[in-house]
Amino acid sequence: MKFIADRDILQREILIAHDIISGSNMISILSNVLIEASDNTLRIQATDLKVSFQTQIPIDTEIPGSTTVTCDKFLNVLRSFPEGDIDFELIENRLVISRKKERINFKLRCIPPQDYPSFTTFDEKTLTIGAQDFSEMIEQTIISVSDDETRFYMNGVYMEPGQNSLIMVSTDGRKLSYIERNLSSEVPFFEPVIIPPKFLNLIKKTSSREGSVDIAVSDTHIFADFDSHHLSSTLIEGKYPNYKRVIPMNQSKMCSIASKEFMEALKRVSLLVDQKSRRLLIDIEGDSLILSSEEQDLGAAKEQLTCEYNGEPIRMVMNCQYLMNPMRVINSDRVVLAFQDAGKAVTLRPDPEKDFFHVIMPMS
Amino acid sequence: MKEAVLFHVDMDAFYASVEQCDNPSLRGKPVIVGGTSTRGVVSACSYEARTFGVHSAMPMFQARIRCPQGVFVQGRMKRYEEVSGAVMDILGSFAPEVQQISIDEAFLVMTGTEGIYGAPLEAGRRLKQLIRDELQLTISVGIGPSRFIAKMASDAGKPDGLFQVLPGEEQLFVNSLPLSKLWGVGPKTIESLRSMGCTAPAHLQRYSEAQLRELFSPSLGSYLYRAVRGIDPGILMGAPKSRSISNETTFEHDISDIEVIKGYVLELSHQVMFRTMQEHLVGCTPFVKYKLATMQSFTCQQTIREPVLNAHQLYDTATKLLLGRWDGSPPLRLVGVGLSSLTQEDTVQQSLFEDEQSQRQRDVEQAVLRLRERGNRLSKASSLARGFEKKQK
Repeated sequence: MKFIADRDILQREILIAHDIISGSNMISILSNVLIEASDNTLRIQATDLKVSFQTQIPIDTEIPGSTTVTCDKFLNVLRSFPEGDIDFELIENRLVISRKKERINFKLRCIPPQDYPSFTTFDEKTLTIGAQDFSEMIEQTIISVSDDETRFYMNGVYMEPGQNSLIMVSTDGRKLSYIERNLSSEVPFFEPVIIPPKFLNLIKKTSSREGSVDIAVSDTHIFADFDSHHLSSTLIEGKYPNYKRVIPMNQSKMCSIASKEFMEALKRVSLLVDQKSRRLLIDIEGDSLILSSEEQDLGAAKEQLTCEYNGEPIRMVMNCQYLMNPMRVINSDRVVLAFQDAGKAVTLRPDPEKDFFHVIMPMS
Repeated sequence: MKEAVLFHVDMDAFYASVEQCDNPSLRGKPVIVGGTSTRGVVSACSYEARTFGVHSAMPMFQARIRCPQGVFVQGRMKRYEEVSGAVMDILGSFAPEVQQISIDEAFLVMTGTEGIYGAPLEAGRRLKQLIRDELQLTISVGIGPSRFIAKMASDAGKPDGLFQVLPGEEQLFVNSLPLSKLWGVGPKTIESLRSMGCTAPAHLQRYSEAQLRELFSPSLGSYLYRAVRGIDPGILMGAPKSRSISNETTFEHDISDIEVIKGYVLELSHQVMFRTMQEHLVGCTPFVKYKLATMQSFTCQQTIREPVLNAHQLYDTATKLLLGRWDGSPPLRLVGVGLSSLTQEDTVQQSLFEDEQSQRQRDVEQAVLRLRERGNRLSKASSLARGFEKKQK
């Protein structure tokens, strides 16, 4: 195998491979990335056995061939090169990475590709969605995924077909994020799936947000094709909780606030909330919303904002983080806090309404 | 200020009494509850069985030799918990403030109830009658000016006892007890005391607090100093800001019977949970501690997202943790249960999903909380008594 590749193009893809592989055992073939040169394209493949990734980049191939090389070292070597073309050649189980001009020469030990897990792809796509739409759906929901391993079925984003729409939901039992996006094309029925966040984060992070994403769902796997990337992941097995039951209906009290002011006040007051419980007090009365921390050993914080509110004076206690995470992704000039009573669920959504919202349980 | 009146209520041979109560043919017979396997150990026995020299933690085969006519019963923890709940309900309607400390024990704060029930002894008699009428169970009641004294007084009267230590007579009472009956003094401490030539509480009174703190650990020293003078050393007064709450039992004989160990874990779980509730705390990290007959100690813990809300939940996690590591051999010398990662109760994050089970558990929890809140207002004691009459109908 012998080829010439551009450092920047190659490094970008190896970085994605690295994201997938990182954390796996250094001595196994799974810490290696597979590269295969043919017909002036380089196929790159990485897997942690759950999430698999494959992509192609243009290269100048002199001798076709393939091998696997430790991803971590490979990435560091690429990073160390000045930008421009790099020569690669496989000589006796060593990948020689060099550039004559600067007299740089690396030799990385390789493992033959025969034992590398094969990449499975799908036969028939389930649906197509705009890359921008899908990234937004991920952004709104990924923040509420549970990392509690005892409730593994909540360790992913739930995706199900709606009526000409796609629904994605996540919850950790304390907060819930929901988005339903209408799609221009029809959404065929498929069995709802629970998708690991690693897969979705990779899409969010690597997608150009241009064009579309082809998604295929099988009993055990989900596949996504976008840009020149093929990504697959095992699904999380288990029964997702009946989320519809906990989405509050009939919330008659609404408090509308300017997003930027609210977020900045949250950031300031959060400096002095209890670091463990993250307890934040919210007092709403008339057109005033007061955020405050409880008195700590270190001190206290309090800030008053102007709001539009239609109900009785109320005090709510919430985990500050549960408000800040959705506020970072809501991306609208104003937001609404909707609720019924102090001890009940609060819905945080953009004002005017869009196709997503976040439900947050208060503290008691 | 009114003289403090504390009751300590202890159910006599609790597990065995429940068996006798559920199965009248067992009444008057030596009932022995415990693991029925060959390696089993007695977890409780009726007083009839005790006259044969059977006692708890005795190997089953030995109990069979001493009491061949005994009725041997496999323990039913669920049922015992149920009956315990019924007893606590009655105590809750009888006393202004109840502090349950284990599955079969509770403290009642009876200060200022003379107007309702008469003298403390009379109140004790009424309570015993009430439990007997309602549940056909006998209890022992100890009455004293502090929890510490009340606890030992109930022991002094057992079974079916009613024993009062009057204010001012604490020292006399303690002097009349053997060291082993002093609450909080275990076999290990007794051993070291014996090596110092102390075999009775009176012997210990020669030492100053500083000397005892020097001889033992500072906390045990101070504890002993107060205990032998009949002053409540402050057990269960709820030291604030404890970072974990735990309790443990060292067995007289090493135990390999899983069922018997479960019984201990259940009891310890109750004790830990009630102390946790008393201090208005919730914890997310249950742990178990165990020591093998070979003296190796182990602790394992699990942190869960939602705080442990009741003793049953704690018991479940604790037994899972223990049985994941220990399968009955080698035998255990000690088992302990605890709860850490404690936070104030009022910072509890609510959940979106409340399955029916946890909803019920929460209801129980809240009922206990209400009881306690009610107890804080002594003026309401009379309405409590009325509430109880209603309940009886």
